[in-house]
Amino acid sequence: MRSKSWILAAGIGLAFLGGCQSSSPPKPEEMARTSLQTAPADLQLICANAAAGTAQVDSSKVLPTSSRQLDAASYSVDLDAGGRKFNCIVDSNGSVKSVQPAA
Amino acid sequence: MTRTRKLGLVMLAAGLCFGPPAALAQTQIYDARTKKWVNYDKKKARQYYARNNQLPEAFRRQVVPFRTAEKPGTIIIDGNQHFLYLVQPGGQAIRYGIGVGREGFGWAGIVRVGRTAEWPTWTPPPEMVARDANAAKWAAGMPGGPDNPLGARALYLYEGDQDTIYRIHGTVEPWTIGLDVSSGCIRLNNDDVTDLHSRVEVGAKVIVLMQGAALYKGV
Repeated sequence: MRSKSWILAAGIGLAFLGGCQSSSPPKPEEMARTSLQTAPADLQLICANAAAGTAQVDSSKVLPTSSRQLDAASYSVDLDAGGRKFNCIVDSNGSVKSVQPAA
Repeated sequence: MTRTRKLGLVMLAAGLCFGPPAALAQTQIYDARTKKWVNYDKKKARQYYARNNQLPEAFRRQVVPFRTAEKPGTIIIDGNQHFLYLVQPGGQAIRYGIGVGREGFGWAGIVRVGRTAEWPTWTPPPEMVARDANAAKWAAGMPGGPDNPLGARALYLYEGDQDTIYRIHGTVEPWTIGLDVSSGCIRLNNDDVTDLHSRVEVGAKVIVLMQGAALYKGV
């Protein structure tokens, strides 16, 4: 009986692993990545545009300087707006959640 | 600009654009055959190109969704992810794979295309001339052509009216696309830089994103 339970548990584990391996491949445009996990370029620029409004500076003077993924659906972007530092949170749909002066 | 200053800029630009490779961050590509992510370095890149005679799928030219307020014709360079985007109407961009500056040579900023050239001349920097007999014979400038390190086209990046000495150019080493290989120039394979050159106007805005940049231009 005990060995049957062990076999069942092992079977569930193997089934899980098999499920992981057969997960769908990334889309062609997503078949490269780096260890940095920066925000997609368009999301960084959406934040730059939002920060330009908050900082009241020309958007051509706002540059994203770093970014990171916060969770599966959002990113944090650090920005320089004419020498002033801002932080922006944006979700993967391009919706800006917040823009605040960096501490 | 005096001839001496022009020559100095050319030398500096040539020195900036070519140098030994080193990695900024680990790049990986998805291997559809094994269904696994694999590290992508210079050795792997050479092997891949020799086997397939083309770049991994992600670094090939393709149209992708791109949400931006920037106007069509704007160039956006994501140095960390090794992509150059040319903004198109309708929330799209043409994406090209690129090679960028190695560690310590990455830069970021907002600049513009000051001028362009077809089959540009390359002038090796003095230190390369001193150590490399092959480069020495081109000390006065190597005419454009299929063996020229600048490749088929060059877009010269300016900050206002000043040449930044950085360029977007082609390459004779197409396998280096997707890697951190240069001293600050942005390289595309020759087909891609020719396509980009045909679509870009002098004066186009160029936004360069690079986390960990050693230098900022135009901001």
